[in-house]
Amino acid sequence: MKLSVEHIAILSGILLMAIGLWGILGRKNILKMIISFTVFDTGLNILIVALGYLPGRTAPIVDGPVTVENLSQVAVDPVPQALVLTAIVIGFGVTALMLVYALKMHEKKKTLDINEYTDLKW
Amino acid sequence: MGEKILFALISLFLTINYGFLMNGVIRKIYARVGRRHGIPFYQMYIDLIKTLALRTNIRHGTMFYLGPVFRFAGGVGLFLFTPVVFGSAMFGNLSFSGDVLLLLSFQFFGTLGMALGAGESGHPNAAIGVTRGLAQMTAVEVPFVLALMGVAIQYDSLSLHDIVAAQQGGIMHWTLFTNPFIVAAGMLALLGSFMRPPFDVVLAGQEIPIGPPTEYHSNYMALMLSNRAIFPMAKAILFMNLFFGGANTYWEMMIKTFAVVMWSVFVGVSFPRFRVEQSIRWFLRVPLILGILGIVYVQFFMS
Amino acid sequence: MVSPYYILTIGLGLAFLLGLLGKKLSKVNIAVIMLAMISFAAISASWVWQFAFGNAEESLFFSAGFEPPFSIALKLGFQEAIIAFMVNIMGLFSTLFLWKKLHKENDKLAPVLLVLFMGLNMLILTRDLFNIFVFLEITAIALGGLILLDERKHAASAGFKYLLASSLISAVYLLGAVLVYFSTGSLYIDDLILGGPVAGPMAGIAVFLTIIAIVLELKPFPANGWALDVYQGAHPAIAAIISAGVGTAMLFVLHKLMIISGPMMAQMITVAGLLTFLFSNWLGISQRDSNRLLGYSSIGQLGLIMAIIGMQDILGDQFAFIAMGILLSHFFAKAGLFWISGIVGGSKLESFAVLRSRPLLLLMFGIFLFALSAFPPFPSFYAKWDLIFALSDAKQYLFITLILFGSFFEVVYLIRWFGIVVKNTSEEVKEKLPVNITQIIPISVFAAALLFFGYYGQHFMNVPINLNYIPLIAVAALWILDFLPTWVKNTLLIVATLFYGYIILPQLHDFAFIFAIIFLLGAFLTLLFGYSYKGKRPGFYPLVAMMFAGLILLVEAKDLFSFFFAWEIMTAGSYFLILRGKKSQPHAFSYMLFSFGGALLILAGFALAHSVTGSYTFDALTMVGALSPLVFIMLAIGFLTKTAAIGLHIWLPGAHSEAESDVSPMVSGILLKAGVYGLLILFMRMGHQFVLGLDLMVVLSWVAVITSIGGYLLASVQEDMKRLLAYSSVGQLGIILFGLTLMSNLGWLLAIAGVITHFLNKTLLFQAVGGVYSRTHDRTMYRMGGLIHRMPITFIFVLIGIISMSGVPPLVGFAGKWLSFNAVLSKGYYLQGVGMVLAGAIAFLYLFRLIHVPFLGQLKDHLRKVKEASFWILLPQIIILMIIMAFSALPGVLLEPIGSAVGKIFPTGGLTWQDSFLPFGSRTAISEYGYWNGTYVMVITMIIFAVLLGFQMLIQRRNKKVGQFNIVYSAERPSTPETTHAGYHFYAHYQKAVGFLIAPLATNFWNWVSDIVQSIANQIRRIYNGNGQVYLIHLVIYFLICFFIFNGGL
Repeated sequence: MKLSVEHIAILSGILLMAIGLWGILGRKNILKMIISFTVFDTGLNILIVALGYLPGRTAPIVDGPVTVENLSQVAVDPVPQALVLTAIVIGFGVTALMLVYALKMHEKKKTLDINEYTDLKW
Repeated sequence: MGEKILFALISLFLTINYGFLMNGVIRKIYARVGRRHGIPFYQMYIDLIKTLALRTNIRHGTMFYLGPVFRFAGGVGLFLFTPVVFGSAMFGNLSFSGDVLLLLSFQFFGTLGMALGAGESGHPNAAIGVTRGLAQMTAVEVPFVLALMGVAIQYDSLSLHDIVAAQQGGIMHWTLFTNPFIVAAGMLALLGSFMRPPFDVVLAGQEIPIGPPTEYHSNYMALMLSNRAIFPMAKAILFMNLFFGGANTYWEMMIKTFAVVMWSVFVGVSFPRFRVEQSIRWFLRVPLILGILGIVYVQFFMS
Repeated sequence: MVSPYYILTIGLGLAFLLGLLGKKLSKVNIAVIMLAMISFAAISASWVWQFAFGNAEESLFFSAGFEPPFSIALKLGFQEAIIAFMVNIMGLFSTLFLWKKLHKENDKLAPVLLVLFMGLNMLILTRDLFNIFVFLEITAIALGGLILLDERKHAASAGFKYLLASSLISAVYLLGAVLVYFSTGSLYIDDLILGGPVAGPMAGIAVFLTIIAIVLELKPFPANGWALDVYQGAHPAIAAIISAGVGTAMLFVLHKLMIISGPMMAQMITVAGLLTFLFSNWLGISQRDSNRLLGYSSIGQLGLIMAIIGMQDILGDQFAFIAMGILLSHFFAKAGLFWISGIVGGSKLESFAVLRSRPLLLLMFGIFLFALSAFPPFPSFYAKWDLIFALSDAKQYLFITLILFGSFFEVVYLIRWFGIVVKNTSEEVKEKLPVNITQIIPISVFAAALLFFGYYGQHFMNVPINLNYIPLIAVAALWILDFLPTWVKNTLLIVATLFYGYIILPQLHDFAFIFAIIFLLGAFLTLLFGYSYKGKRPGFYPLVAMMFAGLILLVEAKDLFSFFFAWEIMTAGSYFLILRGKKSQPHAFSYMLFSFGGALLILAGFALAHSVTGSYTFDALTMVGALSPLVFIMLAIGFLTKTAAIGLHIWLPGAHSEAESDVSPMVSGILLKAGVYGLLILFMRMGHQFVLGLDLMVVLSWVAVITSIGGYLLASVQEDMKRLLAYSSVGQLGIILFGLTLMSNLGWLLAIAGVITHFLNKTLLFQAVGGVYSRTHDRTMYRMGGLIHRMPITFIFVLIGIISMSGVPPLVGFAGKWLSFNAVLSKGYYLQGVGMVLAGAIAFLYLFRLIHVPFLGQLKDHLRKVKEASFWILLPQIIILMIIMAFSALPGVLLEPIGSAVGKIFPTGGLTWQDSFLPFGSRTAISEYGYWNGTYVMVITMIIFAVLLGFQMLIQRRNKKVGQFNIVYSAERPSTPETTHAGYHFYAHYQKAVGFLIAPLATNFWNWVSDIVQSIANQIRRIYNGNGQVYLIHLVIYFLICFFIFNGGL
């Protein structure tokens, strides 16, 4: 089996997600966890776009050879790409908020070790 | 009805006298066993007259005042509810009021009143004696009720008249021979209820010169002496009716009750004294087992 | 209808505007937000109105005029309208509650709040899978912002854990939604339904991912540590929003998505929900922090509703009612409790004791707790009834078990909390709790809503409703009139009781009639005692009315539901009454636990019986089949908790003795009879049941024997006179139970007569003892003594009481002895009969102790000035005394009517009555074995007594009373009553002989059970170690396990 572009994309997406998950569950530094989250999200986004890719088609932009009439024949499905766009925006928001949290938490305890924030338990 | 009451009073009078004489004899026996000469057999009459004649100016309170009244009323009542002689109009007493269960429960009427009266005297030993008596009584009740239940099952009745009627026709028809287990249980229970040794620690509070009889002197004492003549007789008559075929004549009753009472006297002069907890345990062993055996016997071998 | 896009527009528009112009508009900021929230609420209210009363139809709103898949569709149906309305009401009142905070401290919060509620609205309305993802994230960000902006100590770390978890969950959801799209080509939920079940190779995984993400959002056990920390760390008002607002919306999302899931997924949701319900409540038992406790409770409730959503196919038509009933209770109660927590400010359970300074707030606190505990008249009560019945019809016995255990654990910590708040003596309430009106309004509205929906909700039940609300109106009226002085309220309640009796008694027959007389007469007699109290006794009369309302409704009940309703009203009323005692908190608590456990068994038993017979009346209990022994056992244990059979009795001594003086006779003389009534109904219908060839009636008869012996033995060793009487009740209820288990005419006659005589005797004795307590302020007997000289009338009452109770002729108690012996003989239960006689003998021990130790012997120095009890305490006792004497003289008056009622059930083997030659209808009772004439015995005894007394008085005319110490005492005259009074450790010898019989086996057993339950809870909750990363690992593991179960069908 020849390794095509979408296979590479799918595999790299899954790989990035795995790396991200490893970071989320394994790194103790809060900032590293947040970065792992962005890696994870990126991997997820690549995976979604790659799954929506159809071989030999072009981007779903009505311009040039792509017209409204032949859109469904020549272009890939636009929906996953639109979804990914939205997801990226939201991911940005979440990451920003997480960073603010990191800042606030650091202000209180002067540490970024997640193990230090276990005052609430049981 | 008026006739019945008259007969009952006659029977009461006769039996009280019989009781006085019997108590005198018992004390004589005790004395002789103890190598003393003892009192004359009519000593109880002397005591009665003497105590009646003495005046007291003392009471500790109303319950104290009423205690002997309760006591004697309980004894008289118990006797009056008991049929003394089988089939006799004269000595049937007022037994139409209730069956053997009435007797079983009514015996506590006097005891309770006496306990309360003694309690009001403020003497701690009175209360101690009562608690001992009550505690021992709970254990004595068990074999006795087992025996009573065995009799009721065997004769299918709780009416003393019917129970005695079923035992007529010869000595082998007595419960003593038809179901010896329950009679054994019942007679052992009798030892407890007569409160003679080894089960007389209950009365110890009276024996050493403190406690109710000390507080209850003179004519309080007279009422209690009279009660001691009638109350054990009523109980002995009950046992006679339950186990020994009842009595067809007053004489037969006298002989049989004498035997019943003597059983407790003979045991009493022969044994030392149990502590309360010892007697409780004792009653919950052998007599209890005998009673259960008796019930089992009635249920599985007689029907 | 108003388009839902207005909500979106208003929300987003204002939020951006305020964000941009925040500084300049800070003065009006909060007002604008308030207006926006009002507009949300008004818009959704208009939808609800149009659906409910107009002729609105379900409609779709598409964005930008396109149809899906090119646009986003919002669906607006009745369901959506209601849920949106609830969420918006929550938003409105949350804003109001936070008014001061938003206004003074933190105006940055307001726009975030608006965005949050906008997001929740859209989550509810949208029909697009991807759109759900978007609004999931928007609500998560908004919540994260809210938590962060509030400057609480642990808010930041808690919020961060929340954010971590929700990001991970969103990612799962996104993957699922996209995979759904690849399998079906649409994200529009209704397309997915139209196209049949989602198909294709990835379809199964796609659906799984989507739904498991929502399940994870709903905090399933044990992957929910992050949520608990948030509940604890966030401001209580925000926790309220998370619990009531976000939780409700999430549940609706799950409900919406259920149509694309298959049955397997539904089952998984059910199991996940029920496990969450069970374990959250279980772990809540060991919790001491109020907000975290509420968190556990929230998660538990959400789990239950999640399970209900999973079971909607099983529940059928009743699904909506059940789900809404539980949801509404959770919604209002949890929000209210979090808000109250916000006012109180402390985080320990005990710190809520400050509510005592605000009675109204305390009342609402109670309403919320009891609504959560599913007591009537709250919606959850009706919903749980329907839920258990529906599950029983569907034979889902495992689910029923899980729900019952979960409900029980929930009650454990909720009621314990209530008790601590109302009665804990270690917390002194010094100053009034400061509150302001903007905080009180939301709480009051929510409490009122619970009551409203409670009343309104029952009409949607699956059973024919036949409730009589008149007694309950009396309860409400007394709440309103609570400002009046005691004697007015007492008179009102007595008049109401008598009037109600006048109306209701002619409608009742047989046993119901007899028990109604006991309850009404009992109410009258025990209320008379109340005139001896001065002041207002705030809160007392509504509670008394509540208990008696429950009792009287119980005998009026003709169907299972009315019975259970009355049962729970009675339980709650008596619990509150007992709780009023000074040191009664732990005892009231254990009373509640046993009662509630029993009630759950009764509920389940009724449901099982119904599932076999299909009947909702008591006829359901005439069922036959394999289940009937089980139903019998469940119901019997349920009722026996109330009658305090041995093993289930440990609540009684404390509860009855620590209650107030006039409450003790109510709960001991009267309330216990409710359990007897239940047993009567049960035995009448189910009769003998066999397990492995063993007749359960025989088992119960031995239970009864052991109960009486044990109860009486324990009574004999008490030093406290009210505890003595309480244990005596245990024993006497044993005798009544024994009578019932005989299942014969005489047995039931014994039981019913026992019910009446126990009522009379115990009420008399408890009132007499209450009179003593009112003068001596002491209940320990050996510290008294000689009171006969100070309280002679009370002494006479006690004397009559104990003679009657001990069964000594000539008083009426002998009827019980006589009947029991006859009944035993005719039934052949000989050995049990001997046990009963032994119990009767032991009864003398405690009865003598009760009269001797306080009343006889030596009067103590500190009691020399004690006066006789007051008139109002003596009056009811005089009445009872006269009744007892009348019954004693003419037992036929008591026994013949009962005999005719019993004769309808057991036509043979009864008593026959023979005329005697005394007047007044004196008759001789004749049984199969013996005979007895109470009048003769009475007359003869009286005559003998009178003659002897006359003789005594004749020969002792000048008899004088001597001084207290004028006794012969070892040639000494004692002068210290303490050393001359025999009273302490009265039956030492008896304990030495048979003390091993009264080892506290039951108490030890229940302590052991409670230790086990608590220590398991303590061990399990260690998994919530506070580390955000560990919580994420929990989520991943939970996800993986579900994944393998779902795909591997493990």
